[in-house]
Amino acid sequence: MAVSTPVLGIVVLIYLMMIFYLGWLGYKKTKLTEDYMVGGRKMHPYILAISYGATFISTSAIVGFGGAAGALGMGLLWLAVMNIIVGIFLAFVIFGKRTRSIGLKLGAVTFPELLGRRYQSRFIQGFSGILIGLFMPLYAGIVLIGGARFVETTLNIDYDVAVLILTVIVAAYVITGGIIAVMYTDALQGALMFLGMAFLLTLTYIKLGGVVEAHQALTNMAYLVPESLAKGGHLGWTSMPVFGSPIWWNLVSTLVLGVGIGVLAQPQLAVRFMTVKDDKALNRAVLVGGPFILMMTGVAFIVGALSNVYFFDKLGVISVVAAKGNIDLIIPEYINSAMPDLFVVLFMLTLLAAAMSTLSSQFHTMGTAIGHDFYREFLKNGEIGQTVNVTKIAIPVTILISVALAYILPISIVATATAIFFGLCAASFLPMYTGALFWKRMTREGAIASMLVGAFTSLFWLLFVHAKEAVPFGISQALFGKATLLGGTWAFVDPIIVATPLAFITAIVVSLLTKPIPQEHMEKCFGK
Amino acid sequence: MLGIDDPQIWIAYLLCLLSAMGCILYGIIHWNDGKENEEGC
Repeated sequence: MAVSTPVLGIVVLIYLMMIFYLGWLGYKKTKLTEDYMVGGRKMHPYILAISYGATFISTSAIVGFGGAAGALGMGLLWLAVMNIIVGIFLAFVIFGKRTRSIGLKLGAVTFPELLGRRYQSRFIQGFSGILIGLFMPLYAGIVLIGGARFVETTLNIDYDVAVLILTVIVAAYVITGGIIAVMYTDALQGALMFLGMAFLLTLTYIKLGGVVEAHQALTNMAYLVPESLAKGGHLGWTSMPVFGSPIWWNLVSTLVLGVGIGVLAQPQLAVRFMTVKDDKALNRAVLVGGPFILMMTGVAFIVGALSNVYFFDKLGVISVVAAKGNIDLIIPEYINSAMPDLFVVLFMLTLLAAAMSTLSSQFHTMGTAIGHDFYREFLKNGEIGQTVNVTKIAIPVTILISVALAYILPISIVATATAIFFGLCAASFLPMYTGALFWKRMTREGAIASMLVGAFTSLFWLLFVHAKEAVPFGISQALFGKATLLGGTWAFVDPIIVATPLAFITAIVVSLLTKPIPQEHMEKCFGK
Repeated sequence: MLGIDDPQIWIAYLLCLLSAMGCILYGIIHWNDGKENEEGC
């Protein structure tokens, strides 16, 4: 890389000192359980918005999806539209307000606790907790690997040492300072990310001669689409793929399913709605959240696609070729080759911040899910003393599991970890979460049935039908002698498409067949 | 439009900007709505 290691080392050191200061502030401000779990329900709206966005956007969202736009083109901008409208606006205005208000009335301090108390079921809280505690380490594992690879390549530190350093630093402030430390550090990391991406967009347009000129140059390159991609329906980097073609399906299903559905039922994001005092804070957070996400995914997709123009002008090849076929390398290659040295430092920091902000929330959510929801509330029925102490022990345990998974599991499984976790959350939690907020007729039995159907259908589909996971796991092969139980198109249908609708139907049917929740409890949840 | 021929793409490009602006407008319009004792939604 172009920048000397000592310069980057000093910048990273200053950054880490600021992180530790914010972590210490979080520690000082944490006195009660509510502080540790939901920031005393009085976080500042801007901190909420940036923390939500920085948690939402990990390194892979910038580098991985930006690289995907380098290969597939600007059609991915629809994903940015969905990110803003669904991921921010609907999430805050529709889901967020109810989550905050019900969470406050029921005294819930975690996402599983909100669901458990709303349906008066310890089982829901415990099962949700264990589901998060078991599967989130997989998702944290991939973010950890991404972050450690960054530290390894930029600071020339051994990969194993990098994993250890990153884990210890993030764990230190998450364990001591709870969610206040997580959100304060997120805010700094989010600000860095915003700055990095804003510069990236500006410098890219300047380098390519202006907004319209850059787009026009990319439009004119349509004839350069490789044969293999053209066969899949690729019509150029400023065109949507052919309707119904494999690339079109890939694009549209990622967009609608991965984000449109998945993001609303993410425990580490939903819990943030309970960290603010009133709906006013949520309204104000929307003001910051929308532009923030635009600067993250929107910029990553535009720059990723436009990198083709740069590489073609400079090297006479398209981005995928310049990155030697690895789309994850398109953005790093582009940054290193096209951007000034000083910006390379800023962007490296942006990526480190993106990884750490996602990781810290994952650590906090996993720890509270196992320590508070599963162990203290479900197994011990809330009998053992302080929530915070139990959670503080649970956080390192789940972190160790994440690190172990990052080492043990084959890379083919780890690579799909985010999709596995998003799909599982959508199928298990979305129907009962939506019902908890908006459908008073939904019963405890309906919620439990939908959660179990969603979780187990999703897992069954992952292990036995969906080729992307079923083949590397190999359980279907071992038990039935077949790589996947269903062939043809079924093997490509994402679990989320099957499991989530099934869980919704189960929720409705079982609720209508069972006794409604007592009126007085509903009044407690929703007010009179 | 904007050097992009396919309307499906420039519409997405503009929608990104418009939806982010929509968020800003929403925040400004509802700046003081939903104070502590009100239960919005």
